Amino acid sequence: MKQATAPSPADLRVSSRVTNRVTLSKTVISCGLLLVALVIAIVSMSLIGSEHLPVKASLCSLMSLGNARCGLTVEQFDILFQIRFPRILLSAVVGASLATAGAGYQAMLRNPLAEPYLLGISNGAAVGTMLALVFFGAFEWSRPVFAFAGALVATLSVYRLAHGRAGATPERLILAGVIVTTFLSSVIVFVTTLMDATRIRSFTFWLLGDLSGTNRSLLPVTICIAVVGVVILAANARALNLLMLGERDAFDLGVEVKRVRIVVFVVASLLVGSSVAASGSVGYVGLVVPHLARLSLGSDNRISIPAAALGGALFVIIADSIARTLIAPRELPVGAITALIGAPLFIYLLKKG
Amino acid sequence: MLFQAFHHRQSISVLLALLLLSPFGCVRSEKRTPEIVSEQREITDDAGRRITLPRQVERVVSLAPNLTEIIFAVGAGNRLVGDTSYCDYPEAAKAVEKVGDTLHPSLERIIALHPQVVLISTASQLEVFTNQLQNQNIAVFVTDPHDLEGVYRSINQIGEITGEVERAADLVQNLRARADFVEKSTQQLPKVRVFYQLSAEPLYTAGKDAFVTDLIRRAGGQSVTADVPGAWPKYSAESALATNPDAIILPTGGSMGEGNSSVAEALRRTAAVSQGRVYKINDDHLARPGPRAVDGLEEIAKVLHPEAFSR
Repeated sequence: MKQATAPSPADLRVSSRVTNRVTLSKTVISCGLLLVALVIAIVSMSLIGSEHLPVKASLCSLMSLGNARCGLTVEQFDILFQIRFPRILLSAVVGASLATAGAGYQAMLRNPLAEPYLLGISNGAAVGTMLALVFFGAFEWSRPVFAFAGALVATLSVYRLAHGRAGATPERLILAGVIVTTFLSSVIVFVTTLMDATRIRSFTFWLLGDLSGTNRSLLPVTICIAVVGVVILAANARALNLLMLGERDAFDLGVEVKRVRIVVFVVASLLVGSSVAASGSVGYVGLVVPHLARLSLGSDNRISIPAAALGGALFVIIADSIARTLIAPRELPVGAITALIGAPLFIYLLKKG
Repeated sequence: MLFQAFHHRQSISVLLALLLLSPFGCVRSEKRTPEIVSEQREITDDAGRRITLPRQVERVVSLAPNLTEIIFAVGAGNRLVGDTSYCDYPEAAKAVEKVGDTLHPSLERIIALHPQVVLISTASQLEVFTNQLQNQNIAVFVTDPHDLEGVYRSINQIGEITGEVERAADLVQNLRARADFVEKSTQQLPKVRVFYQLSAEPLYTAGKDAFVTDLIRRAGGQSVTADVPGAWPKYSAESALATNPDAIILPTGGSMGEGNSSVAEALRRTAAVSQGRVYKINDDHLARPGPRAVDGLEEIAKVLHPEAFSR
């Protein structure tokens, strides 16, 4: 596995003014294109579902942002705006959160394989959510809070485990991730065995990643966390670029390594925690999307982080649309679709890289 | 060529092993032949397998709560030597030695209980496990009821296994009379369109193969998801809203506890909710294809067609 290439320190200093301008326009153009694609995806995916809705009327109603019924029946209007649209919105937010968190971990840990799902961080958030469900079932705000705590504990555990006396190697990090993942999986199995039969059913389904239970009271929180998280990580993109040279070199170039590390870990955990609390562990998003972003736009985090956020939203919207329509009116968990698309794509990237 | 590859010592040990093994092989095959053939009988289970049982069955293990209920109902409770942690009815079932739960029974404990037959509830349950028990000469009888007729069949089969044929026949006759009364009372009435919500988040319902779909039909209703493939499909929220049911049934209580006691968000705008036609029915009566399923049938019919049972 080749590491993402970073510009040399000399290049960065000499041509920083020139590259800044180039980077800015490149960011604006690529993100603008992705944003257009995202809007098209949101609108077009709103038109498909297990129930057929009249296309023209639905489009008209969507364009009015739900202010006009445009001849839709009350029921059709409810399907569009109470069920389908919030779910697509949640898909976008979960995708953006996971992809950005993945990009953040990959830059901070200087490891292209670092991904919330593969490092056990999603599992940490899942354990947190599960404990919130068991002990504070009625209090739904406890879910994202506990999920964040679980994700942060898992992040710090992986980081500590990966850093031995000889420092961290990419292999060591992945091994640490495997250990944390399997340990937390055992915790999950243990707790689900103790829970009653009905909760087990919903929980096992949900562990695969499932957007059907779109919780509208938590949706605004999830959106806010995603926006704030993406902005903070993007604001640290320059420091993350320098960190790709190694922590010591970055420190010599004036990066407050410790502060950046804490910011990235906390923000990424927050992003993973809020998306897992809302939808379970949707895998491979944080791996595939940042890879594609770097592959097509280069490894500059100032471009790849915002591009990963938009691309992640796009990816999960499409994956969930497949999950909810493929065997309609029955449904599949979205995590199964992202893994089905993600794993082969990842193998292809590995071979190519 | 092959023999050249063998060292002398190895070929000797292989020969020795063969010599040693052969007498044991003979003993084993002798043990397997039935001692007295006339004491055995054969019956067919729901998976179409021919099961050989001793004429007198004194030790039974049940791996599902509905089967435990049937065993007690036909008067064979004293022969039940093991059941699952889900088996909580009748009260006496709780005192029976537990062998684990329906999905994770302990093979060792079952063997230690020396049952003559182990009853399991669906063909899909524990295929490997069934083979292991059969290797221990413990018969495994599979029941797979998909409707009320299937329950009657299970009752008669368990009556036959335990030698309580008459009591089983009486029980079936009694249950059939009650079910027929319900069907007759609701037959002429307009069908009530029902959504059966197995769980709210994620949304699960009853499909074509679910036992409860048959109960709803017999109770003068029509499950709006009766044509969906499978027994317990995960169901699209927008399709659920689009079915716009007249009534929603929430199986809750019993072993479900407080679970599943509120309507899924997607269904809150349906006619059923606005007209207050959301009914909670004891899950143990709807989820267990046993004698109490007829209680469940009566309960569904009474909420769907209160006018037919007002006297």
